[in-house]
Amino acid sequence: MHTLPPPFKQRIALLFLRRGAPLAFLLILAVFALTAPNFLSIGNLANVFAQSAILGVLAFGLTIVIIGGGSNVVTGGLDLSLASNLGLCAAVYASLNNAGYGATTSIAATVLTGMAVGAVNGAVVVWLGLPPLLATLASLNLINGLELVLTENTVLPTSSVLLDLLSGGNWLGVPALAWIFTGTGLLLALLLQHSRFGLRLYAVGEYAEAARAAGIPVRSYVFFSYILSGICGALAAFLSAAWFSGSTTGSGELLLSVVAIAFLGVVFSPRVLPSITGTIFATLLVGFLMNGFQLLNISSFWVNGIQGALILLVVAASSMLRASK
Amino acid sequence: MTTAAVALELRGISKNFGVTRALDQANLTAHYGSVHGLVGENGAGKSTLIKVLAGIHTPDSGTVRVGGVLHAGLTPRQIEKAGLYFIHQERLLPASFTVGEALFLGHELHRGPFVLRSTQEREARRLLKANFDLELPEGVLIRDLSSAEQQVVQITRALLGKPRVLVFDEPTVALVQHEVTQLQGIVRRLRGSGIAIVYISHYLHEIEALCDTVTVLRNGRNVAQVDPRKVPPEAIAELMVNRAVSDMYPKSHVAPGDSVLRVRGLTKAGAYENIALDLRQGEILGLTGLVGSGVKELVRSLFGLTPVTSGSIEIKGRSQPLRTLAPHRLLRAGLALLPEERRRQGVALDLSVLENTTLAGLSRWRRWGLLSRRKELQETLHQMTQLGIKTAGADAPVRTLSGGNQQKVALAKWLSRHSDIYLLDEPSVGIDIGAKVEIYRLIGQLVEQGAAVLLVSSDLPELLGLSDRILVMHRGHIAGDFVPSATNADQLLACATGAAVQQDTPLGHALPPHD
Repeated sequence: MHTLPPPFKQRIALLFLRRGAPLAFLLILAVFALTAPNFLSIGNLANVFAQSAILGVLAFGLTIVIIGGGSNVVTGGLDLSLASNLGLCAAVYASLNNAGYGATTSIAATVLTGMAVGAVNGAVVVWLGLPPLLATLASLNLINGLELVLTENTVLPTSSVLLDLLSGGNWLGVPALAWIFTGTGLLLALLLQHSRFGLRLYAVGEYAEAARAAGIPVRSYVFFSYILSGICGALAAFLSAAWFSGSTTGSGELLLSVVAIAFLGVVFSPRVLPSITGTIFATLLVGFLMNGFQLLNISSFWVNGIQGALILLVVAASSMLRASK
Repeated sequence: MTTAAVALELRGISKNFGVTRALDQANLTAHYGSVHGLVGENGAGKSTLIKVLAGIHTPDSGTVRVGGVLHAGLTPRQIEKAGLYFIHQERLLPASFTVGEALFLGHELHRGPFVLRSTQEREARRLLKANFDLELPEGVLIRDLSSAEQQVVQITRALLGKPRVLVFDEPTVALVQHEVTQLQGIVRRLRGSGIAIVYISHYLHEIEALCDTVTVLRNGRNVAQVDPRKVPPEAIAELMVNRAVSDMYPKSHVAPGDSVLRVRGLTKAGAYENIALDLRQGEILGLTGLVGSGVKELVRSLFGLTPVTSGSIEIKGRSQPLRTLAPHRLLRAGLALLPEERRRQGVALDLSVLENTTLAGLSRWRRWGLLSRRKELQETLHQMTQLGIKTAGADAPVRTLSGGNQQKVALAKWLSRHSDIYLLDEPSVGIDIGAKVEIYRLIGQLVEQGAAVLLVSSDLPELLGLSDRILVMHRGHIAGDFVPSATNADQLLACATGAAVQQDTPLGHALPPHD
């Protein structure tokens, strides 16, 4: 039968999304390689990976929640409390460590804190049926409050074997943070893109009714995606504590970059879906931008502007795609 | 069906929702190797019965037996284990999944924790080819498939579970005619393999063509079980609505007047080309065509919703500038559109009957610059009686109305504006027979009162029954102009599929096969 090609505007949007992102990525690398001194040196590349680790791990958490809740920016999955969760977890770890608790206790309590935040988010979203945007906005405020109570809005310097290992460790010339970022990324990519759990989580996020009809316990899956996100928050807290030698204030400011990276990651997937591999690329893209600008002595504030422009492009293009369906 | 064993037996199923009795001692028996039809008006209890079967509702009383085993209060998963599978009206497949992923969702082929993607794809291709002779391009995603192809994937999914009973719930709503024919072939083949099939449809001619027995539900009760090969569709329809449907298509006799909508050389690149048509006062002009023929785009263009490349549109003698063609201008010129997607575009579901009715002509209910609730109410009550809208009241949200009554509200919106050119896009889709007849009656009244109606429909009997003339589109052109009294559904279909060009070419020579 005679079928019509999709309208011009949507074909352009699709082409832009599918081909444009990797091209832009390579283009940026090429420009920096040609103009910025030492950009392509192993040391610098490893540095970018290490600097990207905190944002990257947080963005993994957000990506998982978006996969399980659907990628609609307003009604889909979203975890705005992730960056604040990092702040709280780092504060918990620094306080316990400074109070003389053992490594196991401090680490376990930190991870449990992250999971608890995830559990609260998940419970509110799944059982109270609140839109994730509002639910996690509320928990963001709650967590910020808890962090303030704990730290009284000061920096809590701390040091431990774990933090030293994370900040100073180096294998094969690659810093520990870079290993953690890549390792976590690959592990989560396997879990979400190649396991039964991951595939079903995609089904839950995209078309819950279909998932339910296929016998998948939709609510548990969504709930669990928030737990995973909480664990990512705790993991990022260790990386941040290692990077800054303690808990810091104002970690909530990472939120916008994390959201930007997670949504930017969508364009690095051939099916234009959120994915861990896409998020890895998006994290590195932002990392390289920031790094290249530093090497070229351009104010890194420009990176914010570029991030903003990228989000706008991606969201506009993907909503154009959605309109075609 | 006399000797085959009973596959599915529902006995004395009752279900109340508050004070509403949805099912009252309903029974249904389906045998292996036969197709069992289930028909009834909307609200007759069909969907409640299906939901009881699917484990979504627990019946207040009654028993469900599958393959002779008694089941009570089961979860959807357990129902599947019992061998009961459903092909729903909406395709329950995630759009961004590959065929393999969608087919095996929930029962993935895996080694350890990992899904074997390429094995799944290969298996999917093999199954589709072997069962339905369907070959899809490698790596194709669900969203790129046609409704019919998605349905085949859905059926294949069900077959993977080795079903004893397969329930088709309005499977043809989104299909075009030749896909319906294909689906019927598939259903017959499944019957041949010994599966019991329950087939629910609004389209009685499908029931007639396919079913071995038919259960008719009315007000939650079984009113009859008939053999559709002996009982004609008209009689089944009468059983459903409990009144004679002798005049299903009330014919109005109006002498057509002047041309009120004159279209010449209308072209939208890539959609339709060089369309010429005249819609006269007091006339019902039918328009039909398969998906992709350009019919939908043409209707949207006529209401100013999609831009036109070239040509001219004249309304009541006044030429409309193509460049600034927009709904609000055409509306002012007297045009009204009843869109196909009633629930999304025809009515605002959360607004009340009153708000919907008066929405298109708000300036008419003004008093001192504000809306006069009294005038609005007056008009709404007037329309409610005129159209026979059944609702709890003028303040009831349209969401709570049945499909037929929602459609009447969509129509009332334009009537209260005194529009006189109506573009009706599939006005009776998804509406039960009783309400259909009422909608037909209203269309008849419209033209009697001097309106002109462009009736776009893929329901050919409906087109033949109502229209004064029928235009058939094929690949962006008007391929035929028929007078209903001198043609039949087969001729219209042949023209629409391109199997035959209008009368001047003798039928039956060198017909290109369509699928």
